[in-house]
Amino acid sequence: MLNRSYYWLVLALSIPAFLWLIPTVWMISLSFQPNDVLARTTSTTALGLIPIPFTIENYASLLSFGQTPMWFLNSVVVAAGMTLGVLFVSTTAGYALARLDFPQKNTVTVICLIGLMVPEQAVFIPLYTMFADLGWHNSYHALILPRVAVPIGVFLMLQFFKAIPKDIEEAARIDGVGWLQIFWYVMLPLARPAMMTLAILTFLYAWNDYLWPLVSAREPEFFTITLGLASIQSNFAQSEGLGRVMASGVMASLPVLIVFLIFQRYVVQAMTTGGTKG
Amino acid sequence: MAQGRKVGHGLSERQAALVLLAPFITVYALFLVYPFFRGVWISLHDWNLLAVAFNPDAREFVGVQNYVRTMWGRNIEWSALASPVIQTTSVLLAGLAFLGWRTGRVSRSTALVVGLGAAIFFLLPGFHPGEGGRWYDRRFWPTVGNTVQFVVLAVSGVTISALLLAAALDRQTRAMAVLRTLFFLSQTLSVTVVTLIWQIMFSPRQGLIANVTNLFGGTPVTWLTDEQFAMAAIVVTTVWWSLGIAMILFLAGMQDISKDIYEAAAIDDCNGFRAFRYITLPNLKRTITLVIVLQIILHFQVFGQSHLMTQGGPNDSTQVLVRYIYQTAFRDSDLGEASAMAVFLFVIMGGFSIVQFIVGREDI
Repeated sequence: MLNRSYYWLVLALSIPAFLWLIPTVWMISLSFQPNDVLARTTSTTALGLIPIPFTIENYASLLSFGQTPMWFLNSVVVAAGMTLGVLFVSTTAGYALARLDFPQKNTVTVICLIGLMVPEQAVFIPLYTMFADLGWHNSYHALILPRVAVPIGVFLMLQFFKAIPKDIEEAARIDGVGWLQIFWYVMLPLARPAMMTLAILTFLYAWNDYLWPLVSAREPEFFTITLGLASIQSNFAQSEGLGRVMASGVMASLPVLIVFLIFQRYVVQAMTTGGTKG
Repeated sequence: MAQGRKVGHGLSERQAALVLLAPFITVYALFLVYPFFRGVWISLHDWNLLAVAFNPDAREFVGVQNYVRTMWGRNIEWSALASPVIQTTSVLLAGLAFLGWRTGRVSRSTALVVGLGAAIFFLLPGFHPGEGGRWYDRRFWPTVGNTVQFVVLAVSGVTISALLLAAALDRQTRAMAVLRTLFFLSQTLSVTVVTLIWQIMFSPRQGLIANVTNLFGGTPVTWLTDEQFAMAAIVVTTVWWSLGIAMILFLAGMQDISKDIYEAAAIDDCNGFRAFRYITLPNLKRTITLVIVLQIILHFQVFGQSHLMTQGGPNDSTQVLVRYIYQTAFRDSDLGEASAMAVFLFVIMGGFSIVQFIVGREDI
């Protein structure tokens, strides 16, 4: 199998893969170079791809003052809140729609899933006025709630629960176990892989979301890191210093990159199911 | 059994369903269904963001006037030759799709997607202001045009490169797994990180591309501020960013193609590119259609690249629909017109969602 042409193929593919990686490597490399050097030139060593002269000053100053750590924390809170919220409403509703019998079930299912057709961009204006009327803007719940209402998670869990054999439930029913206990003690443990997939999908989405935070969080204290990074992007060369902005970019990417590298299999799985089914 | 009773034991199946559905239905109704209808309602009003914030009665019902003001004009006429190139191409495409479907070369859903696209491209560009007429909003349709241009370029760029990469990487070895990871990595970055990187990559003074150009003695191109190159620059950025998901979906589709076919073909000396052309491509039709539809939906909603890299410029050449909606609502405070455009966006997206649903359901 692994003949000579295979090695040529790997070699040939390494070139585009390397090119693909350059922008990311460049960001990381710039984040480790002194700002005053970068102000003169960005191509000191090997077009700037190797961080010489080297400094960790950018990260030190980011962590000691400036708003990046606060934004980072906001992102953690928002992403965690959104993930837990989505898991909760999606597993409960997904289970009910997949396994329980009740009147008008098909109608309810269609109503729950038709929202898949509504893109975020089609509702962000009315959501803005609603939250403004309630005085909810610039808060964590304003950043979290609209994305918990999205039916993709319900759809994924519904598909998953449908595939579980009926007799597991029936055995429990005969033993007199209530529906909510079956859901909690029998179904949820079975659903762990699907929940993991959904959690990662939601976390990545939450961490990277831009439009809704841009509209809702107007005070820098409630910026997520994605939004905060956008707010310092426009003046990167002047006040902030290129190296520091790049260090913020690296910090903003670190959690998703770590999640991706650890849970790569789940991420790929999540994107595949989320992509083809959603 | 009696001592095993816990909360919920006594619930009937219906009650349990109600309890379990309640959390989702509540947030769904409040934060998606209601806002959606409220958006349609706002689009029927003359609604100034600031005025209504001060005085809730400062809005006025105007019917479809917002739609007319954004999408229509004075003395608008329709003709089959208003933009001859686009319209002729779309007629040809529709014919090809129909032929392909009748001869069984393309699936019904593919033909449907192409046909739908061709119909839109035939009908919409046909409208133009007649003598002495003009569009009420000169920026709306050019903005839609830019969005479509972006979608066409980004989707074809992503699809073709992802397909070729997936075909090359479809081997279960460690080296290939590493390469797949490298190509997928950029997909996980947020739009602000991606635009941050590429804004500086493209910078004529500090950018890596300019540095390379200087190395060879050329004059750096001002990518993001040049009308000729700005759209290309955000397309390149987008392809770099979103290639991963398409590649992964293609790889998943290729897993379903039986390896026996390739082995049988190899005996007949059908390898490499010919195997790709005659085995992989035909078997991957449904996945390809699905990926294209998915990408269209995704990229039609483009906002961050345009908003952060070029601010819609230069000279509106990269202004896209969602950014125009955002500006109309939050810079011009005209929520009525912005909502009308959002409804327009929803109709387009909804159309493609239905296509996606049909394609997803269809057995090859």
